[in-house]
Amino acid sequence: MTKTTHLARLRIDPNILSNRADLITQVRAISPNLDAMDTVVSSIQGGMDEAQQRLARLDPSAYGKSRNHLDRAVTGLSPFVRHGAMSTRLIRDRALELAEPKPAEKFIQQLAWREYWQRIYNQFPDYIWHDVEPYKTGFRASDYSDDLPDDILTAQTGVACIDQFLTELLETGYMHNHARLYVAAYVCHWRRVKWQAGARFFLAHLLDGDPASNNLSWQWVASTFSHKPYFFNLENIEKFSGEATDTRFKTNKVLAGTYEDIYARLFPNLEPQS
Amino acid sequence: MSFVWIHEDAMSLDHPVMEAAGLDAQPVFIWDSQHHDAEAYALKRRVFIFECALDLDIPIYCGAPQIILSDLADRQTIFTAASLDPYINGVIADLRQTHAVVTVDRHPFASIPDDADTRRFFRFWNYAKKTALIPSEETI
Ligand SMILES: Cc1cc2nc3c(=O)[nH]c(=O)nc-3n(C[C@H](O)[C@H](O)[C@H](O)COP(=O)(O)OP(=O)(O)OC[C@H]3O[C@@H](n4cnc5c(N)ncnc54)[C@H](O)[C@@H]3O)c2cc1C
Repeated sequence: MTKTTHLARLRIDPNILSNRADLITQVRAISPNLDAMDTVVSSIQGGMDEAQQRLARLDPSAYGKSRNHLDRAVTGLSPFVRHGAMSTRLIRDRALELAEPKPAEKFIQQLAWREYWQRIYNQFPDYIWHDVEPYKTGFRASDYSDDLPDDILTAQTGVACIDQFLTELLETGYMHNHARLYVAAYVCHWRRVKWQAGARFFLAHLLDGDPASNNLSWQWVASTFSHKPYFFNLENIEKFSGEATDTRFKTNKVLAGTYEDIYARLFPNLEPQS
Repeated sequence: MSFVWIHEDAMSLDHPVMEAAGLDAQPVFIWDSQHHDAEAYALKRRVFIFECALDLDIPIYCGAPQIILSDLADRQTIFTAASLDPYINGVIADLRQTHAVVTVDRHPFASIPDDADTRRFFRFWNYAKKTALIPSEETI
């Protein structure tokens, strides 16, 4: 066989990691089909320095108390874990250096969620793109749209907090777990779009985009991989978000109401929830 | 010389695949923009992956991994980290037609039996927590 690989070896300027503009130019050069309109780069940088800095901020005991709050201490390690730059095992070991097993348990349990989804991916690869079960929303899969509307793709739904979460996804490639749940529920239940369309959109943008954690979580929200649909109300967002999230009634009207009201609105074919 | 294919599911030189391949093995990363196109990765995802690859300070090639690796390895064994990704496994299957390919598992997070119940997370966690709450050095 002829040796052709010398042609394909990339020449790398030794200083490239300290010059992000050059680095982005190089990524563009080696991605010839990338849309020229796609110019957004995350502030989250790849590499071990950044991963180690995030690990150094880990506080496993505090995590358990505040992990559901959009403005508190989660690690932001998922992009590094997703690409195997840092293992869940190493992170767990660090957590156990910092805290006893009991206070560290909630955090380690979250790491185990990743292992859980991976295990299911291994056992049932078809679950990644196919409905595991029918929707339990009173609708059939064919009642849901195949594609995401433009206003979701561009973070201009007119629902202020959803637009903020989507903007964060588009600009940083990261979202807090709770924000992912809110957006996924908004897409599936408020807008009645198939979970697969939302999952594809997340995988394109999330730096941690992972077929198992992402798609199976989408199915969980949609109810095709759980016994009931996940949904929320504005009050819940208010409770878990900080000052930075716009949770005013007038800019988020469709999300406002009691759980019973919203359930009746979103799932009119189901028995009313008491 | 044998080669280690460092792919996008295992971008680390601490992975046990490096030990399995031996000290003189050469790790390489391959930038396959057609795969990124097929996955519709946005620029920010590609930049992040490229930064992780650069950080490893190993040769980076551009193109289809099966072609580059079979050319580089020239009948030597190719080592790589085990993955669930159908794209990665497709490359491995192609390579196996002409080369010996050894896949190596990562060190486990916890020891969980193969038949552990995965229907509910908390049942799975009940198995996992027996070893997940112990530092790895104590479970080796
Ligand atoms: C709709 C939806 C889509 C998601 N898509 C992805 C995805 O593509 N990739 C991904 O890694 N996670 C995904 N998750 C899970 C979770 O939201 C992220 O792992 C978490 O937000 C990452 O942020 P962090 O690193 O700050 O997490 P932390 O709270 O600091 O947790 C530490 C680590 O534990 C793991 N982890 C924590 N929670 C979960 C979880 N619920 N499921 C799986 N692993 C978890 C991650 O590896 C994470 O880095 C998704 C969740 C939802 C609801």
